[in-house]
Amino acid sequence: MMPGRAYTVALRGAAHRSVLDGGGLVVAIGFYVVIVGTLSGLWRVAVDANGGDLGGYTAIALTWYVITSEAAIVSVNARHIEEIGTDIALGTVAVELLRPASVLGIRVATEVGRGIPRVAALWGSGALLATVLSGAPPNPATLVLAAPSLVLAITANLLAQHAVAAIAFWIRDAGSVWFLYMKAVFILGGMIIPLELLPDWLEHISMLSPFAAMAYAPARLASGHWEPVLIATQLVWIGGLAVAAHLAFRAGERRLQVVGG
Amino acid sequence: MAIEARGLTKVFETGRRKARHRIEAVRSLDLDVAAGERVAYIGPNGAGKSTSIKILTGILHPTEGRATVLGVTPWEDRRRLARRIGTLFGQRSLLWLELTPRQSYRMLAAIYGLDRPAEQRRIAELGELLDSTDLFDQPVRNLSLGQRMRCELTACLLHEPEILFLDEPTIGLDLIAKQRFRELLVRLNEHQGTTIFLTSHDVADIEHVAKRAIVINHGEVIYDDEVAAMRRTLLGTKIVEVGLLAPIPAPTPLGVTLLEHTDTLMRLVVDTHTTPIRTVLDELLDGPAVADISVVDPPLEQVIAEIYELPAR
Repeated sequence: MMPGRAYTVALRGAAHRSVLDGGGLVVAIGFYVVIVGTLSGLWRVAVDANGGDLGGYTAIALTWYVITSEAAIVSVNARHIEEIGTDIALGTVAVELLRPASVLGIRVATEVGRGIPRVAALWGSGALLATVLSGAPPNPATLVLAAPSLVLAITANLLAQHAVAAIAFWIRDAGSVWFLYMKAVFILGGMIIPLELLPDWLEHISMLSPFAAMAYAPARLASGHWEPVLIATQLVWIGGLAVAAHLAFRAGERRLQVVGG
Repeated sequence: MAIEARGLTKVFETGRRKARHRIEAVRSLDLDVAAGERVAYIGPNGAGKSTSIKILTGILHPTEGRATVLGVTPWEDRRRLARRIGTLFGQRSLLWLELTPRQSYRMLAAIYGLDRPAEQRRIAELGELLDSTDLFDQPVRNLSLGQRMRCELTACLLHEPEILFLDEPTIGLDLIAKQRFRELLVRLNEHQGTTIFLTSHDVADIEHVAKRAIVINHGEVIYDDEVAAMRRTLLGTKIVEVGLLAPIPAPTPLGVTLLEHTDTLMRLVVDTHTTPIRTVLDELLDGPAVADISVVDPPLEQVIAEIYELPAR
């Protein structure tokens, strides 16, 4: 028996259910199309007003940037931190401790599995929209890197959410933490604004933060930049975040075992 | 020995600094449960039952003491023990609510390391045993509580556990579902030798499932004996029900308390330490008005309530 089979089954099962949840996908796509349609329109105006170039991005590049960064973030359950906090507080996590598998591993595998079909559906819709609104991708070859980078982006995001959500082992309400986390993803992750357009000091901080691996990396690639180092950076962050989430959950589980739920 | 505990103590500390205080949820608990036993582990709310079950299943670390379950120290080797025990908490679901039971079983089989043939064989066996195969492909959220509990039991038995820890497993079930659930537990124990460690506030669960009762209160064992012996050894009272042909006065010996008295029925509680039951019966039968008479033990609820009042052993 493969030791990792439980996690593979969790991932595949969640992906399968995500595909079957047609209604949920349609709603997500509808929401996503409105957002990226609006943002790409705004960016087109800004680029035109700036002589056709903004921080090295053309209007087409920015459209492809936005459809990719939004797909990376919208495909992941935005309130996951809160939900993990609730599960810890209600004792659901304690019951999961009774299974001979990593609570964190099963949870992350399930969420990544759920996110993959969603990100594929959103990005596919976004690509269609971008092609109609702005034109073909500036450098189609970079999409080959952007596709796996999107999967890495949602993985990094979910691992970070679990690492942060583990605070719920110590505090009852993780809602405020979720709010701060999402703001960091919006700004430091380059979800709305490419990091190159931020003030220099903030750009440097953002580039060094794990948030850049969650939206900026795939978006930068999809906007026509052949920069494989972004994928390498994502992999490094995934490793770091996995260790952080593992340590946070282990400490949290230990606390649960000592002080109770 | 399936479960062995010595001096198990769990202290929770609450509050901060000056307002800090200690709650001793489990106090120097000693337990011995042999393989194949059916044990009711009972006590009033806050007695320490759930805390001790959490310790025995590895969810909680004790503050002091030692315990082994199937030879494993639960809190040191939780995952290894999890492969050999089954747990069912009435208010917590083992199933994923957005899945069908069969999909949940697939996940659990992977977690417990069952290969596909073993998984399918086990699901078929349990479906037949629990008469629940037709429920396995319906979304869990569409199942009634009774149906869901049968599916939950399948989930907790999938990996053929040697011990079942059940915490209020019949809570919320209707009478028929409860009865069926109890029969299943007994059948599992008799056919597969599964040790049953059951916590419940429902006296019928205890009467119909358990052979032995361990009662804890304030974190300590206060009683440990056969369920059948509970009434015999603890009860100093009998209930006498008398059907009357005509009104008669109630007997008056010391130790007799009148519960109900109409023209056609009289119910009495007799303290047999004070007055032998024969004395009361002689007095009642000494006239022509008695049509029918029965002497019964008080209900188990009353026995258990009396046990809850006992001091620690």
